[in-house]
Amino acid sequence: MAVDVTNLFKATVKSVKSRNKAIGENAVNDKQNILSRSRQKGDFESKAKEVITNITQLRDFLLSHRKEYINSGSHLSSEASKMTDSERDQIDNDAQNIIRTCQESIGILRLDLSSHRVHPQVKEHRQIVIFLMNEYLKAVCKIYSEQKAIRVKRAVDRKNISKLKPETSNSPVNNVDLSSLIKKSTDEKGSGDTDKSSNAQKSIRPEFDHENSLLPEDEISPEESQMFEEENKALYDEMNSMSHEVKQIEGKVIEIAKLQEIFAEKVLEQEHEIDHIASTTVGTTENIIDANEEIREAIKKKAEFRVWILFFLVMCALSLLFLDWYNG
Amino acid sequence: MAATLREKQATALKRMLNFNAPITKATSNEPQWKILVYDRFGQDIISPLLTVKELRDLGVTLHLNLHSDRDSIPDVPVIYFVMPTDDNVQRICRDFENQLYESYYLNFISAISRQRLEDLASASIQYNCVSQVSKIYDQYLNFISLEDDLFTLRHQDREAISYYALNRGDVKDTEMEVIMDVIVDSLFSVFVTLGVVPIIRSARGNAAEMVAEKLDKKLRENVRDARNSLFTADSSPGQFSFQRPLLVLLDRNLDLATMLHHTWTYQALAHDVLDLKQNRVEIEESSNVATPAGSPRPMKKKKSYDLSHSDKFWLIQKGSPFPTVAEAVQEELDAYRTQEDKVKSLKAAMGIEGAEDDSAISMLSDNTAKLTSAVNSLPELLEKKRLIDMHTNIATALLEQVKTRKLDIYFECEEKLMSKSVQDKTLMELISDPEAGTPDDKVRLFIIGLICGPHMSEAEIDQYCVALTEAGCDITPIQYVRRWKAYAKMTAAPSQYGGGGISSTGMFANLVSKGSQFVMEGVKNLVVKRHNLPTTRIVDALMDLKSYQDVEDYRYFDPKLLRADSSSVPRNKSPFQEAFVFVVGGGNYIEYQNLVDYAKSKSMTSPKKIWYGCSDLVNASQFLKQLARLGQEG
Repeated sequence: MAVDVTNLFKATVKSVKSRNKAIGENAVNDKQNILSRSRQKGDFESKAKEVITNITQLRDFLLSHRKEYINSGSHLSSEASKMTDSERDQIDNDAQNIIRTCQESIGILRLDLSSHRVHPQVKEHRQIVIFLMNEYLKAVCKIYSEQKAIRVKRAVDRKNISKLKPETSNSPVNNVDLSSLIKKSTDEKGSGDTDKSSNAQKSIRPEFDHENSLLPEDEISPEESQMFEEENKALYDEMNSMSHEVKQIEGKVIEIAKLQEIFAEKVLEQEHEIDHIASTTVGTTENIIDANEEIREAIKKKAEFRVWILFFLVMCALSLLFLDWYNG
Repeated sequence: MAATLREKQATALKRMLNFNAPITKATSNEPQWKILVYDRFGQDIISPLLTVKELRDLGVTLHLNLHSDRDSIPDVPVIYFVMPTDDNVQRICRDFENQLYESYYLNFISAISRQRLEDLASASIQYNCVSQVSKIYDQYLNFISLEDDLFTLRHQDREAISYYALNRGDVKDTEMEVIMDVIVDSLFSVFVTLGVVPIIRSARGNAAEMVAEKLDKKLRENVRDARNSLFTADSSPGQFSFQRPLLVLLDRNLDLATMLHHTWTYQALAHDVLDLKQNRVEIEESSNVATPAGSPRPMKKKKSYDLSHSDKFWLIQKGSPFPTVAEAVQEELDAYRTQEDKVKSLKAAMGIEGAEDDSAISMLSDNTAKLTSAVNSLPELLEKKRLIDMHTNIATALLEQVKTRKLDIYFECEEKLMSKSVQDKTLMELISDPEAGTPDDKVRLFIIGLICGPHMSEAEIDQYCVALTEAGCDITPIQYVRRWKAYAKMTAAPSQYGGGGISSTGMFANLVSKGSQFVMEGVKNLVVKRHNLPTTRIVDALMDLKSYQDVEDYRYFDPKLLRADSSSVPRNKSPFQEAFVFVVGGGNYIEYQNLVDYAKSKSMTSPKKIWYGCSDLVNASQFLKQLARLGQEG
């Protein structure tokens, strides 16, 4: 529970000022410094603030349109969705552009940082500012990609619904009846019980009518309707199994894409390390080459030294002999 | 009190770092960067609560000490978190002069005095930065919370309020006043942060009583002052339905033996042996490094480990006896290994199954799901591995010390002394045994024997002193303890430790047979029977309003009463559910653990919440040094 004494401070400031005036200290400073009060914001600061405001605008934009973006309309098309697909694509493109420009500006700032010569504390501060900006950008990107994933998933689901396929768990409530009926008909596939299937078809029919109220229902003889039904069933089963597989594969591909992203991130992180290791290795090989040279030199010098010692000893021996001969 | 003291302090700090605006939980907040400047006290308060990473997430780019050389970083707001002392205020004025930062947010750890506020005002006028001083706050956070229910007052400046400072012979009244004020100020901040006014009880005739009187006065003045009261109902709406807590103020002189006791629980052992400071431990690890000379030379490296609140293993195990901890580490290691193997087996599964096309799709669905979950759990696994490594290292270091100093024997002996049961080895044997423990350990054992053991005549004591001096010990603490014994009412003290016992079960066979890293042969498995230290007994008596001869004449203060009730008759008739225990003059983890165990044992019948605080946490060797200084004076 903190106590705000700012007001007390301001009152104290006033009282001190009035006291100073009373004592007669010069208040000349006020006038001069009011003009110079407009502090220049450094380049770095203003650029950084710009990038941040851009990212914030993007975030607000994404969040405000989020509801409409996601709401792809129920399967009954009773509520018209407020956004067409083209608008959504445009939003995607714009967002991606903005993200790219922000990333570039952050990169530029980072390069600037290494070029300017400032105090180490200021440098560290700026590095961390760039880091924080990156984190913020990542968070906003995450919002964007989540939205996009939801949209894609809803689109896929919608396609499934309109083709009357068995549902996954994310479908709207109405389709549960439809799916249970359809499941019943698939169960009866093997039994060959046309009665039940015709029943099922008949109960599906009213739903069909509700959806696509253009199916002509009259003028079909019983034999023809039987044939149609059989054909329907066969086609339907075939399509069913194919799309089931396709749907599964789609889901897996999305998951794999996510994994890829994670891996790519990790690999990028490691790139820096690897560069460092590579340069160290190069340095090491050079050092070793130099070391070899030095050793060679040393061996040579040792050999020379030995030669000189031998020479010296031989000379001493000869001189001794000479002196001996001279004296004797 | 829904949030613990620690959480409240952490929330207050985070709000302060958010420019004193409440923190909103938006999806992603625009980062506002700032610089944090603290002094030593601020550093001690912040370091157990917020890691550097959390500071970064809150937007703090640099954190600097107030008195270091700081460069000018214009265009950035700065948050100061300092004590309102003269030095600090002058340094801030110098910062104003040098125009180091763009805008200043000053947060004072305790309330700033009028005089210093005027100093700041005149400096800001002089250097013309009144507009830049954006906010000034009194934070009332003048205490360090180490755990959810453990707080201390000082870490880096603890000499001023240690046991030695309070009890030395030549202490002047003014100095005592200063120390008391410091303690009262901190306790006041604790209660302001919690937003409750406690009922205070303290013993008579010692430093604790003085603290109690001053605290009572301060709280009463503040509650009276309706305009500026810090305890209004805006804290938490359900406040009045909770009962008021009890504050028990105790003096260290009540119980010296606990400070010197050898211990057997994990956290207390770490504090005693490895010097746990601000939840951080430093261990010297020796690794063999091959030098050009050809023979491997052991190189010592210091590693420091953070034992933090987020470490679940630590939270569970910190109060357990040492062998339990060893087993638990082993279990965690096994669990981790199984998880690691699962992840590795995925790799094999993916590689093999990818060849077949038929089952590829069906396998793929399983495997991608498994892979996703594995990749997501990888960071957790790595973190777990790091924690297990850390605890393994700490436990190994502890085990080494225990084995070389034979701390288990000391522990057993002291427990027996404190509970007055029959001993296997006499004191004399242990003291003259050259292998068992450092000289400090022997002195500690002897002092505990002196305090709690059977009465010894002067001649016997001198004999022991001779033996101790031969073993290389410093016997000045013993002089002090003898004096202290003469002053205090020592007849009562020995009875206060009773009720405990120890059963030792010989060699720790099954640990060895598990083939674990902790080969505990030669270390006895001591099963500690719970017993209550004097502190716990007093708290128990006061909370449940039992009549216990020692607490009968404890003083009673209620700051909410209209008149200062000097008769101090307890008015409250119902037992207390929450209690704060504060020891003036130093405390340690043994007492804390004892209180925690007591609260846990009572939680079946009547739930109780107990907080433990002390002026500073001292381990036995530091306390022994203080006793030695006191002994030398006399």
